[in-house]
Amino acid sequence: MSDHGHEHDHHDHDHGDGAHHPRPESEAELRTKALEALLVEKGLISSDAVDAIVEMYENDVGPQNGAKVVARAWVDPDYRDRLLQDGTSAIAELGFGGAEGAKMTVVENTPSVHNVIVCTLCSCYPWPVLGLPPTWYKSPAYRSRVVAEPRAVLEEFGLEIGPDVELRVWDSSAEVRYMVLPERPPGTEGMTEEELAGLVPRDAMIGTAIALEPETVR
Amino acid sequence: MSDRAIIDRVDASLAGDAPLPRDNGDLVFEEPWQGRALGMGVAVMGRFGISSDEFRTHLIAAIRKHPEATGESAATAYYAAWVDALEDLLRQRGIIDPPTAETLPRA
Repeated sequence: MSDHGHEHDHHDHDHGDGAHHPRPESEAELRTKALEALLVEKGLISSDAVDAIVEMYENDVGPQNGAKVVARAWVDPDYRDRLLQDGTSAIAELGFGGAEGAKMTVVENTPSVHNVIVCTLCSCYPWPVLGLPPTWYKSPAYRSRVVAEPRAVLEEFGLEIGPDVELRVWDSSAEVRYMVLPERPPGTEGMTEEELAGLVPRDAMIGTAIALEPETVR
Repeated sequence: MSDRAIIDRVDASLAGDAPLPRDNGDLVFEEPWQGRALGMGVAVMGRFGISSDEFRTHLIAAIRKHPEATGESAATAYYAAWVDALEDLLRQRGIIDPPTAETLPRA
């Protein structure tokens, strides 16, 4: 256990460096600041660049893993089959895994079926592939409403699902975590796997969005 | 390479020997400086085209040199080693000569 008893609010740094320090700074903290100051002073990096990266780390590392899984499934039909049959093993093939023994099940969107995931009881989430759950995913409103009125909820996300498309809502649990395999967008035939992964936002793997069209990315 | 791609590579490259501290999959930053240390490392790697594997070598050496001290949390020890590793790397590459612990002003 740390001997620093204070719980630091994550928003602390918004107030500027060292503005409200309840305790003396540790040596490691001082050295971190000194190093950043030196790098910035020499014009080697900017504090804004560091900010942007920290933000990415806090929000975005996970979804990249899921996007790679999706892109692989789009380009490799055998992989897609394995993924739908046994999500856990297929995801592990790419080096991702380990949600405390939870089984990963991947559900595929098709022209006639749209899937969306939720955890009605708490906030079970496929974090090895999607990273941190967004705040709304944990909200009581999403958890209850997406089951009762999924079409209305998806519309609020800006996603209109046609009346002829079947909507399936998957309730995650400690035992099974779901991930949505979105449909490959049209006009992506010539794209590489890496480029395709760039078309897969986090929400497309939750089911509250679809994959991006190539024009919207460039 | 984009920051995103670097982040991804760092995460994957460190996963085996010196994984980023996580709790239930979430990265653990006990204090804001730990996130800054991480961000700085990624920024430096991007700016100078340093591979995550090269950084990893320095990080593993730094962790060996300073194992977790009593009363110190895993994340604190890890990011302290991270800063050591980054300084070593910058020094070895001749990019800058960061102040050592001895020359640093005390709080």
